[in-house]
Amino acid sequence: MIPLIGRLLILGALGAAVTGSIVGFASMKAPYGARVVWARRCALAFALLMTAANLVMVEALVTPDFSVQYVTLVESRSLPLWVQIVSLWSSLEGSILFWGMVLGLYIAGGTLTMARRHREYAPAAIGVWLACGAFFAFLIAGPAQPFGTVASPPLDGPGPNPLLQNHILMAIHPPFLYLGYVGMTIPFGIASAALLRGTLDRDVLRPLRMWLLIPWTFQTVAIVLGGWWAYEVLGWGGYWSWDPVENASFLPWLTATSALHSLVVTDRKGTLKGWTATLVMSTFLLTILGTFMTRSGVFNSVHSFTQSAIGPAILSFLAVSLIWTVAMLGARIDRLESRRDVGPAASLEGAFLVNNLLFVLFTLTVLVGTVFPLIVEAMTDRQITVGRPYFDAMGVPIGMALLFLLGIGPALPWGRTTSRELRNTLAPPLIGAAVFSVVAWMLQVRNPWTIVTIAFGGYAAQVTLGQLWRLRQGRRRVGAFVVHAGVVIVVIAVAVSNTMQVSRELRLRRGETADIGPYTLTFLGARVVTEVNRESIVADIGVDRAGSRVGALAPRMNFYPASQEPIGTPAVRTTMGADLYVSILNIGEMGQEITVHALINPMVAWIWVATLIMAIGGVVSMLPSRRVATELGQSVGAPDLQVGGVPSTGPELAGPGLRPLGERSPEREAGERA
Amino acid sequence: MNRTVMLIGAVVAVPIVTVLAVSFDRDPHEIRTPMVGRPAPSFTLRDASTDGAVALAASRGKPVVINFWATWCAPCVREHAALVAAARALGSDVQFIGVVYQDSQEQVRAFLDQRGRAYPMVLDEDARTAIAYGVYGVPETFFVDRTGAIAAKHTGALTADALTRNLRVAAQ
Repeated sequence: MIPLIGRLLILGALGAAVTGSIVGFASMKAPYGARVVWARRCALAFALLMTAANLVMVEALVTPDFSVQYVTLVESRSLPLWVQIVSLWSSLEGSILFWGMVLGLYIAGGTLTMARRHREYAPAAIGVWLACGAFFAFLIAGPAQPFGTVASPPLDGPGPNPLLQNHILMAIHPPFLYLGYVGMTIPFGIASAALLRGTLDRDVLRPLRMWLLIPWTFQTVAIVLGGWWAYEVLGWGGYWSWDPVENASFLPWLTATSALHSLVVTDRKGTLKGWTATLVMSTFLLTILGTFMTRSGVFNSVHSFTQSAIGPAILSFLAVSLIWTVAMLGARIDRLESRRDVGPAASLEGAFLVNNLLFVLFTLTVLVGTVFPLIVEAMTDRQITVGRPYFDAMGVPIGMALLFLLGIGPALPWGRTTSRELRNTLAPPLIGAAVFSVVAWMLQVRNPWTIVTIAFGGYAAQVTLGQLWRLRQGRRRVGAFVVHAGVVIVVIAVAVSNTMQVSRELRLRRGETADIGPYTLTFLGARVVTEVNRESIVADIGVDRAGSRVGALAPRMNFYPASQEPIGTPAVRTTMGADLYVSILNIGEMGQEITVHALINPMVAWIWVATLIMAIGGVVSMLPSRRVATELGQSVGAPDLQVGGVPSTGPELAGPGLRPLGERSPEREAGERA
Repeated sequence: MNRTVMLIGAVVAVPIVTVLAVSFDRDPHEIRTPMVGRPAPSFTLRDASTDGAVALAASRGKPVVINFWATWCAPCVREHAALVAAARALGSDVQFIGVVYQDSQEQVRAFLDQRGRAYPMVLDEDARTAIAYGVYGVPETFFVDRTGAIAAKHTGALTADALTRNLRVAAQ
């Protein structure tokens, strides 16, 4: 029964999307006509049907109803309830179904905002959104059908991939990522509508910015949650490894961040319209590229879904979207621009421009690094790996330049300035840079790159705090600078955690001790713990500091029925100064001896805190400004039309504990061999 | 119509889509080796059970299966039974050699006592042999032909099927 209901709901959604898309495009010429109403209704129906289909699947998962094919793949009776629910996105078909619901909800939201105040843009935007909706509904109805029927239902299933059952963050990271990825469809639709109309009015920048900022905030959180999950679960001691799928989530974030900044200039000066549209549309294309990377089986990653039939479908969709984007931009970009002068170099608009170029450079760098192995293999049949050395060598300087700009930029005024004014605004924050560097030196920071980063951070911190102090009123700019404050902390934390990590491999017999950093670890013994869905060996390790016990760590090895490889869970003792991180490499002699990888990771906790700050900044930027009313009445010179956004030197710059190229951690190796 | 935009778009888009499209049959987990076709690097290593010396050169003239493994590696544990069965079935027609990768002699002995032994397991103490063969991770298995050249390589746990297939290549 459930499979039938599910399939009918999906077919209904497909019908609504196709109809609505056609009606939307057909009523472009008459945006105030009666037909548009039907496009809107189709959009809402699509959202409703997709949501219903997801609820039906959740019902089938929780029951569990093993007559549904997807349930037999990912479900097991012996799972905790939260794992049963997150199974919805733990495998390919379910994750696409979930994607469909998120897309539906975004389209409903987009439709409601555009339908009231931006009616000229609404029909084409709905047309584009529902065309995307139709594609995903087609995927769910065809190549990635989760509602297949099983003729003779089994009594129990294998449960989802053990890596996904291993940590509660798995319940949060994927939905945030989908909310980020999928949401980029909305600004794509708005930009497409603007290009189709041939104008990008100042009025429509507001929903564009809003619908860019919402997924951007989710994406920011999702990327860091992914790093956090890797840190807490995979056990190699780092949070970022330039894995193709990590890059895939980072690429649209870079262009979205860039677009948020270029939107400020468009809003303020009426320039860079085509450029803004290009960035917005590229962001969407990169989300589709990312989807392809995760689901086609072409890239090797801890995220890879198994090889599947939907790879060619997604690639076709990417190709169509690319053609659409290039054709739209090529045909209409000249109509968007009314003015071409960008402004003097030593001005805020100059800084925005450099910021944009750096972001695009960063995007291309990561894109090339990710795709390059495929290009080489396709052309020469040789296999190569582009790893951390490349990304670090390219990413660190760009990241530092962006941090530098994050300090200098906001200090600069719009338009022309005298050199004296420049000196007066740019000189004082040097105090912040000096203070930060001295403090860093006193805290034993010796790596020159790290000190330079911290100095830039100090400069940016003083500028940011100064701006926040001055702008206690206008929320939008406040939001932007709160995000900047988060970025400064993230970048410093990433630099410090990478260059000042202490790492040791320790072999301990029961009762033996070993030192790492300020801590003394004692192996107290191992025990077996049995839970509903897994059996684990837990090693108890006492932690002493300066001769007294400060805590205990319990890293574990988990054995899942579905997996022959054990999956480790590291134990982390977090303090704001540094984390003590211990993961089990081997347990020998019936639990009498263990080998552990112990690390001191300084400042890692700051990354998680700073991400929260960035997310808060993003949310503050979304809130309607108290000055909206006055702002609308003001001429082009209003002081507070800045958009929340952020240069990109997130945690992605690097991760500590990464092994040199070619050397692999046992955990990843086990995953790959499995 | 802005030709520059069209051109840039095409220059960026076409190669990406083409490369992705031609990459479909690629298995990202496979790591190809330049070793196939080259002479197998020679080694003389100590047997973990008997402490005697085992030299690859002594097996010249018949196919050799060189299996890099460790007791801490779960896929190696899984493939052990298939290797032992094949070594027993083939007798002296094919020489099997297990090269222990980053593991201790006691662990290996205990493992073999428990799971059975059918062919020499040698200790590669400074991993020099593994490096010479370009081993990326365990298990990896090299199939050497009668002339002493590497005929095939298998990454990951071996099955009886994979063993037969690769041995056929090496025996030609």
